Amino acid sequence: MSASDDQADVQKVLAGDIDAFENIVRRWQGPLVNLAYRFCRDRGRAEEMAQEAFMRAYRALGAWRGDAAFSTWLFAVATNLYRSEIRRFPPRSISIDEVAEPVDLRIEDPLRLAEDRDRAVRRAVFTLPPKYREALTLFYFHGMDVAAAAQSLGLPEGTVKARLSRGRELLRNKLPQLMAELNWKEA
Amino acid sequence: MNDRELDRILSDEADLVPSSGFASGIMDVLRNEASAPPPIPFPWKRALPGIAAWALALAFLIVAVLRRSSESPSPPSILDNLGSTLAAAFRAAQAIGAGWIAAALLLSYVSVKLTLLFIRDRA
Repeated sequence: MSASDDQADVQKVLAGDIDAFENIVRRWQGPLVNLAYRFCRDRGRAEEMAQEAFMRAYRALGAWRGDAAFSTWLFAVATNLYRSEIRRFPPRSISIDEVAEPVDLRIEDPLRLAEDRDRAVRRAVFTLPPKYREALTLFYFHGMDVAAAAQSLGLPEGTVKARLSRGRELLRNKLPQLMAELNWKEA
Repeated sequence: MNDRELDRILSDEADLVPSSGFASGIMDVLRNEASAPPPIPFPWKRALPGIAAWALALAFLIVAVLRRSSESPSPPSILDNLGSTLAAAFRAAQAIGAGWIAAALLLSYVSVKLTLLFIRDRA
């Protein structure tokens, strides 16, 4: 993925070559769908949200000034849309009682138990208040890059760091119950 | 569970691969959007005479009401005032041919609506 490819395609689109936008879509469809999935945990809805994000980006393409990387601008557009979509139509809420799955039949399989635990921890992020959930989602999506998460969220880095810290703390407070339900014993 | 383990779990998430028709679906929607005719702007030029006529009628009405209230020696009751105002308004409307103006505006509205309806059906 090269920034100059993005810039060239954006210029072509702005000059009237709509087909050049397909290169942008193909280049960024994976990240945008995956980011949407982390917001909603529903594959079908993630694709719908990503499609809307591309449409919005296409309509606002002239607003990208080129002072930041195209990907930064695109992620900010998508994040803004995903946040408002999820606040308007929240995914089915998952309580901490729902995140753990029955384990009695799998107690013999530690690998599967670990996978269940990982899945349960990811789903537990959904039980957090939106501002902490969004900070954690963007931070891990961007490979634990606070600056990138802050740019996508349109927030100062300090605010994102504070929300990450508080979000992790809330998550850790929920985990003992989760672990007990999964019958997991930490080493 | 420590921070490092939490980081590992939340970072190591398998990537979804978008459906095969995802990109082409977006491009189809974009091409449809681009080929759609632009929305018809409000016909200000045509509506302007009607709007001007209504503004004139309103001005006449206000002038008539003000003149009447300044001519009356004693302050009339609210009902008297309302009745005489309506009568003055009716006379002023008759004087400027408000009925014809209203009919013309209605005709313009119906023709614009019909045009929009035809365009929508063709699109």
